[in-house]
Amino acid sequence: MKDPLVVLSGVVKRFGTFTAVHRLDLEIAQGEFIAIMGPSGCGKTTTLRMIAGLETPSEGEVRISGQVMNDVPVHERDTPLVWQSLALFPFLNARENVEFGLRMRGVDTVERRRRAMEWLERLDIGAFAERSVDTLSGGQRQRVALARSLVTEPRILLLDEPLSALDAHLVIRMQGVLTRLQRELGITFVHVTHSQSEALAMADRIVIMSEGRVVQIGRPREIYRTPGNRFVAEFVGRNNILSGISRGDAIETALGTFPAAGLPAPGRPATLVIAADLVEISQAPRDGAIPCSLISEEFVGATVTLFLEAADGTELKVQVPERALGELNQHAGSRYHLSWPADAGHVLTET
Amino acid sequence: MNRFALVFRLPIIVWQGLFFLGPLFFMIVMSFFLVKNYRMEEAFELKNWARMLTRGYVWDSYWYTLGMAGSATLVATLVAFPAAYALAFRVSAEVRRWAIFLLIIPFFTSYLVRTFSWYVILAGSGVINAGLGTVGFGPYTMLNTPFGTVVGYLTLTLPLVVILQTVALANIDQNLVQAARNLGCSPPRTLISVVVPLAKTGLIIAALFCFILSFGDFVAPYYLGGSKPPTLPILIIDTTKSGQQWPRAAVVAVMMMLTLFAIAATAIWLAYRRRIAS
Repeated sequence: MKDPLVVLSGVVKRFGTFTAVHRLDLEIAQGEFIAIMGPSGCGKTTTLRMIAGLETPSEGEVRISGQVMNDVPVHERDTPLVWQSLALFPFLNARENVEFGLRMRGVDTVERRRRAMEWLERLDIGAFAERSVDTLSGGQRQRVALARSLVTEPRILLLDEPLSALDAHLVIRMQGVLTRLQRELGITFVHVTHSQSEALAMADRIVIMSEGRVVQIGRPREIYRTPGNRFVAEFVGRNNILSGISRGDAIETALGTFPAAGLPAPGRPATLVIAADLVEISQAPRDGAIPCSLISEEFVGATVTLFLEAADGTELKVQVPERALGELNQHAGSRYHLSWPADAGHVLTET
Repeated sequence: MNRFALVFRLPIIVWQGLFFLGPLFFMIVMSFFLVKNYRMEEAFELKNWARMLTRGYVWDSYWYTLGMAGSATLVATLVAFPAAYALAFRVSAEVRRWAIFLLIIPFFTSYLVRTFSWYVILAGSGVINAGLGTVGFGPYTMLNTPFGTVVGYLTLTLPLVVILQTVALANIDQNLVQAARNLGCSPPRTLISVVVPLAKTGLIIAALFCFILSFGDFVAPYYLGGSKPPTLPILIIDTTKSGQQWPRAAVVAVMMMLTLFAIAATAIWLAYRRRIAS
């Protein structure tokens, strides 16, 4: 890892009797795009707010560029945040919103106007500079908020689910804008989100949090293909999760015994994770395949997820390309047979 | 559906027509009547207007009333703001509810009674002068002075101004305040650059209420200000008493109405104007 820009060590945050963050350790490198992801209430936003100084850690240290920040007030931190609600000032127009941070730093009128316009144009909204912010569209407001945060050339940008209120097609475009900006500026982005597509698409590393703790940190592909525990396996992607007992080179589950690598000593409990997109489905019975009946399907465009039930009631998921569906002739109650290659399974040693 | 809407609106239309627009129209008409031998006669003469608008004492009274009500508005706004700020941001929602309830209590008792209670405090031998006397100051004359008038105006308006300001401040989106801090704005500067602009509408409406109530108040300038000099409401009473000059009193009343309309319109325009100058 490059020099860490932000270091959280042993950070705890309590609100009254509720502990939002339990002893968090995290290093964020200079120029890294990191996504903090988890269900609501997992402590991800609290963590971001502690970096910004909007919350003070109850225990532990937050360091930025080596300096302990715990007692540095918010307005002296230079850790701009893009808010979920965007928090644009309604009494200022687009350009004045962008100029706000410069005005606070005492930059003179001509210079701050020039820099604000430069950023508005960079984000393709120069034409709306003099417009009142509430006459702008969601995407335009998003760009004003981004420009407002970046105009002071910070070392780090914090993003608190800013894309969650946008239409799906705008989300994809803003993802492009964000990744491009991050590459061009070379600054650190810390993006809090509950959307795995956002995290997987943009981040260099993903931090998965649950109930105030970090449960896994890794690159998107690692998180997606090799979840470190059951929580991540359930939260990220679409996985089939089978509990069983290790038999050395195979795992014995309620649905049968499947060969797998990386199992614990024979007799120890283990969990087999098979991503839904690695499961093979056919109508014809095959050797070692699990017979199932179709319960429902979820069509999201290019891929379709089929939900099936095995004889003992275990629910299994299969993701298939939409164009492959024609051959399956699926309807509720249809009988299918599921199997997967031996190397598709990922083993968790915890249960 | 439309018929229903009309039926429901009818009472308020009738009420406004009978008890506001009707008397207002009659007052304007009456300002052109004449009084002969202590009796009012229907006429359409500009004599009352010409007389009242050319008398120095009317204009003295006009500017004095404007100044007094304006001072009370300024003082009320400044005194109420820290209290409202504390209630909006520094206390729990529970405490805020109780505080607003307590601020409503003064309105339970008659304004006249509350005004008279100031005699005990402001009189030459009252509480304040007795207190100051023990440390070798005073006595100061506070009753029958402009100071007394302003104290009276504040008695009437201050609780209302605090309530309106508190509501205005409490409705501010806290994210915007935090966003300002996040962008490098120090706490005192946040107050001026973000909190006040965001609460602008409510703060101006609170001030407007204070001005309207003070401008039209008779009790405070009469009992605590000693009618020296008379404000416009006192002038109206005096004019009706001396020689049954209801038409001339109507002229003063119309002057007051026009002034309030102008000030209220300006205030509303300022309050709802989208942008602040930058």
